Amino acid sequence: MTDTSVHTNGNATSSDWIDRFYHVDQILDRPGPRTDPSFLAGDEVKDFLRNKCKILVIGAGGLGCEILANLALTGFKDIHVIDMDTIDISNLNRQFLFRPADVGKPKAIVASEFIMNRVAGVKVTPYYGRIQDKDDDYYMQFNLVICGLDSVEARRWINATLVNLVDPENPESLKPLIDGGTEGFKGQARVILPTVSSCYECSLDMLNKPTAFPICTIANTPRLPEHCIEWASVLEWPRVHGDKKLDTDDPEHIGWLYTIAAARAKEFKIEGVTWSLTQGVVKNVIPAIASTNAIVAASCCNEAFKIATSSAAYLNNYFMLIGTEGVYSYTFEHEKREHCPVCGGESLEISVNREWTVERLIEMLTETQNIQIKKPSLSTPAKPIYFQSPPQLEEATRPNLEKKVSELVPDGGEVTVTASTLPFSLSLLITYT
Amino acid sequence: MTIPSQGSLEAQDIEVATTALQSQPDNKTRRYDRQLRLWAATGQSALESSRVLVISGSATSTSILKNLVLPGIGHFTILDHESVSPADAGNNFFLEGLRSIGKPRADEAVRLLSELNDGVEGKADKRTLESILESEPEWLTSFTLVIAHNIHPLLLGKLSSLLWNDSTYPPLMVVRSAGFLAEFFIQFHEHTIIESHSETAPSLRIDKPFPALREHALSLDFATMDPTEHGHIPYVVILVRVLEDWKKAHDGNPPKTYDEKKEFKKGILALKLKPDEENFDEAEAQAYRCFTETKVPSEISALFEDPVISPESLSQNPSPFFHLLSALKEFTIQSESHTLPLTSTLPDMKSDTKSYIHLQRLYKLRAEEEKQAFKSYVRAPVDDALVDSFVKNAHALQVLRGEQWGAFDADKKALGSPIEVSFGTATALLVTPKGLLIHLSLSALSSLNTREPGVLLTVEALRAEVQAIIGEGVVLPDELEEVIGELVRAPTAELPNTAAFLGGMVAQEAIKMITKQYIPVKGYCVVDLIETWTGVVNA
Repeated sequence: MTDTSVHTNGNATSSDWIDRFYHVDQILDRPGPRTDPSFLAGDEVKDFLRNKCKILVIGAGGLGCEILANLALTGFKDIHVIDMDTIDISNLNRQFLFRPADVGKPKAIVASEFIMNRVAGVKVTPYYGRIQDKDDDYYMQFNLVICGLDSVEARRWINATLVNLVDPENPESLKPLIDGGTEGFKGQARVILPTVSSCYECSLDMLNKPTAFPICTIANTPRLPEHCIEWASVLEWPRVHGDKKLDTDDPEHIGWLYTIAAARAKEFKIEGVTWSLTQGVVKNVIPAIASTNAIVAASCCNEAFKIATSSAAYLNNYFMLIGTEGVYSYTFEHEKREHCPVCGGESLEISVNREWTVERLIEMLTETQNIQIKKPSLSTPAKPIYFQSPPQLEEATRPNLEKKVSELVPDGGEVTVTASTLPFSLSLLITYT
Repeated sequence: MTIPSQGSLEAQDIEVATTALQSQPDNKTRRYDRQLRLWAATGQSALESSRVLVISGSATSTSILKNLVLPGIGHFTILDHESVSPADAGNNFFLEGLRSIGKPRADEAVRLLSELNDGVEGKADKRTLESILESEPEWLTSFTLVIAHNIHPLLLGKLSSLLWNDSTYPPLMVVRSAGFLAEFFIQFHEHTIIESHSETAPSLRIDKPFPALREHALSLDFATMDPTEHGHIPYVVILVRVLEDWKKAHDGNPPKTYDEKKEFKKGILALKLKPDEENFDEAEAQAYRCFTETKVPSEISALFEDPVISPESLSQNPSPFFHLLSALKEFTIQSESHTLPLTSTLPDMKSDTKSYIHLQRLYKLRAEEEKQAFKSYVRAPVDDALVDSFVKNAHALQVLRGEQWGAFDADKKALGSPIEVSFGTATALLVTPKGLLIHLSLSALSSLNTREPGVLLTVEALRAEVQAIIGEGVVLPDELEEVIGELVRAPTAELPNTAAFLGGMVAQEAIKMITKQYIPVKGYCVVDLIETWTGVVNA
């Protein structure tokens, strides 16, 4: 990247050369047998793709790096990217826009600069921060959104935001969301048309349950090296360090946990506590490789290209890949969930035991596969039941935790559940058994 | 690298294993952390000693290489005599746009790919494949794997025959693409896998307990023991005990009928002293383990029939895998239980530390004993770490046998038959019609481009060519029109997304071939990026 003078020009076609799009234009110049009649072959579609279409990429990590490169090569020229992370050495085995000298720098910024240097005439606008920092007007400016995230929470947030954005009077308000995800040799890509097709929240029950070890096992009957590591991080760290926050990216912190876990393992004659396992357990490390990310990111970008140009039919609506045993993939239509709290618009009916306390109900909301709300706040149309924050309200409502739900909510009564991490509220209709 | 291999920890003394503290991993281990969790140090070292040849510096080729350079193969060579064209500069991320036009494509691609990883050696070779095949074919033996993208079918034919006909030559991956459609194929004779990373766990052999386990289970007095201890007996011990008692009362037979199984489960729950003893609930849920006899899994006993392990063949075969397989067969015949050697991996279960660790210890000791017994049947010098790994993965060993590139297209009986009837042979046209159409259409495209270079491609010409390959009289489904229509639309288009998708797919399979871990695809893997699906033809 020695000479950047030709490349900083974001003004569309002035940096193009003859035959630059020789390959892509074979698709854009004429329809194929499975192309929708609305396809405007030739200059019109090229002009839209290269001069008008604005696309947002969420995440500049394993999938994000790949997505940015693919979009740039296919002819998207106005790309925005959001990422709140900085580059870590463990990213370098797959996040190919980063070099060892970039460690510590913001991913969104380094990735944008790399793409603009490599692919002429492409403008990439980075935002180093959280997706939650941006408002509806910001999201409204894009034609498409592609997500390459590793967080369920962030996906739920953007999904709900884009569903809320839909205004039936304004077709432009419907922003197709293309979501990719990987874990080791497995991955998936999907197309979500907010309010029209199954949304991210609709498929929440497809997620694997996170491994959780009961606290009594950790405290009293450890059997596995993981139990010793959890003991060190969940019980010993706060006991010894008080309010000091555990930073799982700090090697000294990991080292401390490892030493403590290893000592406990020795005491109980448990084998297998290693540095790598300690880090894996406390950071919940998910294996990640370049090849799987390449497949899933390519699939996402291919859908974005087809949707933006109408040059071919697009994925309806879920592609799942398992690469551990041969190449196995499954393409299917995920159905909308009837009572989806995000795109279904109806209350969720749940029946609870008449003896249950509010605390038990909260526990159930946290654990239930298709709800999974961390730290929910509850209220009836008339009054708060329990609020996680602000502290005064938390304190005021705390005594309700011990009370029976049936004392506070009538049979068939409504409870509204909110959480700071989610831009929507869930409405429950409570019946008793 | 400071990662201990999985086997070495077990071999260490417990004191050493629990006290030798590691320091923070070095930079290389940290860099590769997310992949080491998949293929460990053994896989990484296989990658690092591999040498990969990629023929052509196309966008697809560089996408494949990117995904091999990042995880750290040892060496790659790009064989390409072309200069960068304006079209190349527009669709290949490992070229620098206008600045690369006119320069040798191999040089530019190698330079930019090499920036991804200092630990990988890259080389540009600007000779033609033709000249190498003619004057220096043995040069190809210096590679672990050869990958060829969209090369001329006549050259591909020569290359694949050369690599197929002599076992000292490496496997070949053939990749073809046009527009939204693509396929790839791995040509190899034989591929053996020890670490297949199967999700099936080996048997705990509850129905055939080894003596120490049986004694332990029988020594416990469930009725009079301390109640806390009772609530922590591991389910394995409960099941061994209940099954032994059951057999005594049923002429040595396990529960067989539905009613017996139900009664057996009821018997487990009846042993509870308190309703909240979760270990007994777990035992009930795991009771199925008592119902079917632990035998050598059928996939493994099928391997025992392989002629390769007959004494005559074995004396000619230097492969440690087959010597170990032969020893495994001998072990299963000689061992009392006629099972595979026991593995020491015990899943977690409701229990207290003492009972669990004790049980784990019993399994470890027995596994070690059986491993020693197994070793006594190994008649060739084999590295200890390999023996450990082999025994540990004995339940999921894999032997794959492949075929030559193009053999399928020449086998009309395998492709389709004039009258597709359900009781006929399972032709590819019957089993995987959509996938076969993509494969045949790509074959047809390739041969038409060669025979009539420069002539405008037509749907009619492609259809006729597909018909010629599959045979006259075979009725082709209507879906063929969708496939060939798409090829006529974009016969020479190498789309960036298709290239990136293939880049991931092919690299993934290359990694499996090189590391000999996980299971690579067999047959022609076809890709349709319009409806977004993949399939395997002639698996």
